[in-house]
Amino acid sequence: MFKNHLKIALRILLRNKVYSFINIAGLALGIAAFLLILEYVSLEKSVNQFHANLPTMFRLLNQNSKGESWAQVEPGWATKAQERFPEIKSYCRVAESVGQGVVKYEAKNVSFREKKVAYSESNFFTFFSFPLIKGSASALQKPDVVFVAASVAKKYFDQENPIGKTLTLYNQFGKKDYLVEGVFANMGDLSDIQLDFVFSLETLKNPANLNDNSWANLTNLDSQYIDTYFQLNQNTDYLALEGKLNVLRKELSKENDDITFRLQPFSEIHLASSFSDTYPHNGNIKYVFILSGIAFLILLIAWFNYINLSTANALKRANEVGVRKVIGATRNNLVMQFLGESILVNLLAFIGAIFLVTLLQPFFNEIIQKNLSLSTLLSSSLWIIGLGLLIIGSVASGIYTAWGLANFKLIETLKGKLHKSAKGIFLRKSLVVTQFSISIVLIIVTLIIFSQLKHMQNQDLGMNIKQLLVIKGPEIGKDSTFKNRVNAFENDIANLNFVNDYCTSGSVPSNWYNFTTVGFTSAKSKTGDEQKPYSFVTIGHKFLKTYDIPLKAGRSFTEQECDVEWNNNSKVLLNEKALEQLGFKSANEAVNAKIKWDERYLDVIGVVKDYHHKGLQTAIDPMIFYPFNSSSYLTIKLAGENMNSKVATLENVFKKHFSGNPFEFFFMSENFNKQYETESQYSTLFTMASVWAIFIACMGLFGLATFTVESRTKEIGIRKILGASVFSIVQLLSKDFLILVSIAILIACPIAYYFMHQWLQDFASRINIEWWYFVVAGVLALAIALLTVGFQATKSALMNPVKSLRTE
Amino acid sequence: MLKITDLEKIYRTEDIETVALNKLSLEVKKGEFVAIMGPSGCGKSTLLNIIGMLDDAEKGSFMFNGEEIIHFNERRRADLRKRNIGFVFQSFNLIDELTVYENVELPLLYLGVDAAERKQKVEAVLEKVQIMHRRNHFPQQLSGGQQQRCAVARAVVNTPKLILADEPTGNLDSTNGNEVMQLLTELNEAGTTVIMVTHSEHDARFAHRIIRLLDGKVVMENILG
Ligand SMILES: Nc1ncnc2c1ncn2[C@@H]1O[C@H](COP(=O)(O)OP(=O)(O)OP(=O)(O)O)[C@@H](O)[C@H]1O
Ligand SMILES: [Mg+2]
Repeated sequence: MFKNHLKIALRILLRNKVYSFINIAGLALGIAAFLLILEYVSLEKSVNQFHANLPTMFRLLNQNSKGESWAQVEPGWATKAQERFPEIKSYCRVAESVGQGVVKYEAKNVSFREKKVAYSESNFFTFFSFPLIKGSASALQKPDVVFVAASVAKKYFDQENPIGKTLTLYNQFGKKDYLVEGVFANMGDLSDIQLDFVFSLETLKNPANLNDNSWANLTNLDSQYIDTYFQLNQNTDYLALEGKLNVLRKELSKENDDITFRLQPFSEIHLASSFSDTYPHNGNIKYVFILSGIAFLILLIAWFNYINLSTANALKRANEVGVRKVIGATRNNLVMQFLGESILVNLLAFIGAIFLVTLLQPFFNEIIQKNLSLSTLLSSSLWIIGLGLLIIGSVASGIYTAWGLANFKLIETLKGKLHKSAKGIFLRKSLVVTQFSISIVLIIVTLIIFSQLKHMQNQDLGMNIKQLLVIKGPEIGKDSTFKNRVNAFENDIANLNFVNDYCTSGSVPSNWYNFTTVGFTSAKSKTGDEQKPYSFVTIGHKFLKTYDIPLKAGRSFTEQECDVEWNNNSKVLLNEKALEQLGFKSANEAVNAKIKWDERYLDVIGVVKDYHHKGLQTAIDPMIFYPFNSSSYLTIKLAGENMNSKVATLENVFKKHFSGNPFEFFFMSENFNKQYETESQYSTLFTMASVWAIFIACMGLFGLATFTVESRTKEIGIRKILGASVFSIVQLLSKDFLILVSIAILIACPIAYYFMHQWLQDFASRINIEWWYFVVAGVLALAIALLTVGFQATKSALMNPVKSLRTE
Repeated sequence: MLKITDLEKIYRTEDIETVALNKLSLEVKKGEFVAIMGPSGCGKSTLLNIIGMLDDAEKGSFMFNGEEIIHFNERRRADLRKRNIGFVFQSFNLIDELTVYENVELPLLYLGVDAAERKQKVEAVLEKVQIMHRRNHFPQQLSGGQQQRCAVARAVVNTPKLILADEPTGNLDSTNGNEVMQLLTELNEAGTTVIMVTHSEHDARFAHRIIRLLDGKVVMENILG
């Protein structure tokens, strides 16, 4: 029986090639999209899950009264907490970002600026489960020791054995030599902790190594810079411990602030446990949800195609069903037969999907910025759900078709052609409308994301970042001659003929602020205003000019003012937002007024027009500009074209004065647009999804049109003989489909509007949702549908009527 | 073998009711060969379909092998049908995707007959209708006569007690038609009851008895020599 079913299934597929191709290819495309996205979601789900101690691992967070939380806490708490609470089995502190700097291998004179750098607790490699390739985990108990990632070992030492080599780290703690005592496997996509260098935190316990940075003292309870992880005893109620930690904090904290502790399960660091989880996360649960939604919708479109095409095709097979029944087939026999056919089609589609995934993987990885493959699916148990879904989907759509067929009235099936039931027609129309609604929503979403992205990229930033090149300041060689070398370097730069302007600053637009702090008041301030934050940017005297940022009132700093020592300076600039927040009514009122910063008084000498220091997602922050000759960033305004040779010249000048330092630069406009990476990813993703969706939907439409035309061949022939024009026949055949697409447009528009309205709320500077997005999407969908159906309709309308009559 | 009394069948569409069978009574004995004749639309096919349990009647009684089956549900009728009745249609109704051999084999598959027995039975019946040499062809590759012989082979492969044939020669020329009639006669002589609907007086003469219908009623019976 099975063999008979398989045989007939294959014969039917082969006999009706167009139908089979559309059915299988449509499903394959749907399943391929589903698998690709499932890979991504699987990866996201499995990040951090490899740590052996995972269930008992927690991260300590600080949270303020606004509910914002962050992982950088004061370093002293870990020891205090463990002494007090026996349920804390161990702790591991990791000081990331404060250690960033330049690493140099003296013996070969190679150096690189390194970002993935941390000072880590001595138990780092036993607390976490990062595999060691060389060395012993206990070596980290010694000061002045470093473990490096395999890729780093290759980068600095190539084929040489890294163990026993010396690396020099230049950063805010000065210059220090470290002995390489271990090599660990690259941390890879499955870890949120991303380090290339693990320096022993023991090093910082020696005050001599702190380079006067007393805030970094590991017993400090007042400067937040270290990530703290706890391993608790089995079955500890971590929320109870959280409460106890807060009591401890109240008791010992010197600062009377609004900060409380939170414990975050380590397993929830990557993806939030829910949308309402406001703790910091490295992954993006929204992204995961949106992608999963898209995957499911595309799969749905494919299944709907399958149902529509199979039921349409089933009508053609009514006679076969009737005959089988007469000969003795039971309903079960028939359901099994059609189910078998459906499983065969789905199986072929699945094989096609695997092939498509392999083909498309590199493109998808490029967009998603991950290194995914089919084997990623196995990294979490999600694949079981995915496979289950695929099986359920194919069986359900198979059963639906089979059931419909098996239930045809026997007598009617025998009379040959079946008249479609009204219910069946309604269902088919609903499925088409749903498919097109989904596709049109995706098109509108794509249009709006794309427009928002363009809007952000083209918006007037309040400054001019064209032709700006930023060089990162030197880290190595800050000796007695440093100041003179900086001056000489700046002179050389100023004398280059392609340099229009240049300036120094402590931070630059798109790369955050120097810092953000509170404690500012003016004569106009009300109580509580001292809690409002201001963002600091330290600038040299030519900053505003180089960035083309206009003043609203007053003046900028002079060269001399920028030379004043930090604590002796009494002059600042404000932006308009800061002016408002300080209570001033106008720029003129603020100029020459005094503001108070904790115990110090500062003169406002000018007001800077608001400009976008950060991307347009966020509103402009109140900013204070402080004069300071920092060597952190040098921004250069270049003239003309041919950037490569200019960069090369600049590198030579830089190396001349700061030899041994890596020359690092970026173009401001590129760096600024990097802030829109997520939006740009969304944009590409939705473009792909909507093309994909509409393509599958149209394959289905094409199939249905083919069936319609086939079943109306005789009617068309008669109409032509009676004198109908080709156009009127095309119109007749296309009308029904176009009505369905129009209904889909009406359904899709409000849905798309709702979601995109929500999405745009996240942007401080956003576009309006214009009516034409909907018109464009609607016209596009109609045009594509018309093209699809029209092709079949025209073909049949052009057919010789005598021929079409004879085929009946 | 079967006894029908006061059978009624009414087709209802939105606007009209058609009385297809009007208190029709009929009895067919085991081993008989009966021809049903009458003008188009008089209810011949309707009657045959009800006898074949493909369709159900409104009212009346239908005794099959001494059992009242008028209330049987679809499943029980299907069961009765597949064990006792073989069908031959005017339009052959072969399955296009299956070969001659596979078409004939199908009823046995549905009956769950084992492979060796199937092979033996199918080959025997194909020999009998003389299309053994065409066993691996598809229906489209056969002439009308060959297709109908194949359909007859399929109808009798599981040795049914009753064969129902609705205008079996309607789509055939006289030579091919005669061959099919010859086959039916042979089957009847071997003990199978045959009920056949036909428009052809010539074909009807192969039967023992001719029942003439008009407007859903039996109006005349001729018993032939
Ligand atoms: N499904 C149906 N719906 C409505 N009326 C029907 C249906 N099937 C048959 N009829 C009507 O029932 C009557 C009997 O039809 P039937 O097919 O039994 O006639 P027939 O004697 O076989 O005719 P023919 O010799 O043309 O095959 C006809 O009037 C026909 O119109
Ligand atoms: Mg008839």
